[in-house]
Amino acid sequence: MDFGKVWAIAIKDLLEVFSSPSIYGPMLGVPLFFAIVLPFLTFYVAQYGAPQLASKIAAVPVALLGQSATGGLIFMSFFAVSVLGPIFLTMPIFTATVIAADSFAGEKERKTSEALLATPVSTGELLLGKVMASFIPAVLLTLMIFLIYGYTVNTLAIQSFHKGVLPTAPWLMMLLTAPFLAVAAIGLVVLVSSHVKGIKEAQQVSTILVLPILVMPFISILGLANLTVSFFSWVIVVLLIADTLILYIGVKTFRKENIL
Amino acid sequence: MRSDISVKSAVKSFGKTVALSRVDFSSAKGMNMILGPNGAGKSTLLRCIDGLYHVDSGSVTVLGENPYKNTRMKDKISLLTDNYALYDFMTVRDNLKFFGRLYGLGGGETISIAKDVLARLDATEYIDRKVAELSRGTKQKVAFCRAVLNDPDILLLDEPTAFLDAHSAEAMRRILLDCEKRGKTILLVTQKLDEVTRFNAKIAIIRKGKMVKETSTEGLYSLVLKKVNVDFRLARPLALKQARRIRGFYRANSDNATLISFRVSNYKDINRILKSLMGFGAIIASVDYVEHLIDDLSA
Repeated sequence: MDFGKVWAIAIKDLLEVFSSPSIYGPMLGVPLFFAIVLPFLTFYVAQYGAPQLASKIAAVPVALLGQSATGGLIFMSFFAVSVLGPIFLTMPIFTATVIAADSFAGEKERKTSEALLATPVSTGELLLGKVMASFIPAVLLTLMIFLIYGYTVNTLAIQSFHKGVLPTAPWLMMLLTAPFLAVAAIGLVVLVSSHVKGIKEAQQVSTILVLPILVMPFISILGLANLTVSFFSWVIVVLLIADTLILYIGVKTFRKENIL
Repeated sequence: MRSDISVKSAVKSFGKTVALSRVDFSSAKGMNMILGPNGAGKSTLLRCIDGLYHVDSGSVTVLGENPYKNTRMKDKISLLTDNYALYDFMTVRDNLKFFGRLYGLGGGETISIAKDVLARLDATEYIDRKVAELSRGTKQKVAFCRAVLNDPDILLLDEPTAFLDAHSAEAMRRILLDCEKRGKTILLVTQKLDEVTRFNAKIAIIRKGKMVKETSTEGLYSLVLKKVNVDFRLARPLALKQARRIRGFYRANSDNATLISFRVSNYKDINRILKSLMGFGAIIASVDYVEHLIDDLSA
């Protein structure tokens, strides 16, 4: 395998995505907006409405809500990790899907793949280059958004409660699931690349992964499950198995003419 | 002797559409052409030869290898498709450097080769422009430049002069003739009879996914110039009664004719008519005829 070629393909794909504000704008703007706005929402709820709201949330022990500062801090920690945290897990999925869809289905849509496939690039080099182009920014951007979110949450918490709430171990475990979610998203795009005609169709696969993620805050609020270290450990194990299967099938069934 | 390109009983279908139906083709050294109307299967055949498509049955070998399975041999083949396949967001320079890298060339080496080719095509000034800003003809020149970057042994071209002005098309043909002289095998597909007759090539005619004839430039003229009216435009008028004495006379534009039509049954008649006209003191300005449609050339 010629890693120079792999890298050339990855760089080309990345430049293509980041040359179009209509692609990278929403991909960066929306999570950035949430990373800043949601902590303020958390803070507002923790500071002014925590006792009333929190008493309705089974997962927060009512005994902790006696003193407003302590209750507020605990609630803020709970809300920042268990309720809002999973929303940021959609980021590696969306980012990876947007880039992978543009990379695989986009070549097909723009009819640029013929020249690419006419070069002495093996299927492995092509796949790895395109997977890297989707995986690296998805993980780095997720890390960046988690850091911005964590910084904003802590700044607000320290100002009011004189104590930061992040990072917590479950929050770090949540961050650790991001690469596995990104791989799953990319693998699904590779799988569907032969059956779709364009970018928009390829992007639809993200819903398969996003829906379970969006259920997490509800199961947490309803007390059906706690988003603990052990919970995320199981999530990682399941994702690892799923990723292996998806990638194996994706690579086995991928044909170069899929993107022609 | 083994042909550089060998296609045997190749069948390729897309769903219920049969694009190639038991196609056989062997290349000759130098220039080869496949002539056919729209939808005849020319581009599909070219893509199968390049290894982009896997044939459903039959076989395709290039330089003795299967181009679909052996990706590494593609450093000896190049394909120019009919849709340029360039990256719009990149400059011409970055496009060529990217493809050069995939062919194992360094950036400096790529640009040095590219500048030579672009200069011959009168397109050097566009090297730092984004592809999205270029005209169709310039994109075609850049795509052609990319196709010859790796100095391929086998050059596959799909309508390479389609959107070029006459000057640029001629420049591209000169590059192809140079490639031919250097022992390269060129396979050019086109629907233009005019393009085919500009090269001394092995010619195959394809229609509805089937090879219907293999011929040469001379053979093609036999097909094209058969029972056709040929117009002779004269710089000095010729008396009608003299024109009528030449076999095949059809009509003239006046008693002192400057445009005379002859009905020819064979392209060789043109030489005979020319000699007769010159024998009467006529000065020939041009010879012209209306070409047959490609669809009529199967027989």
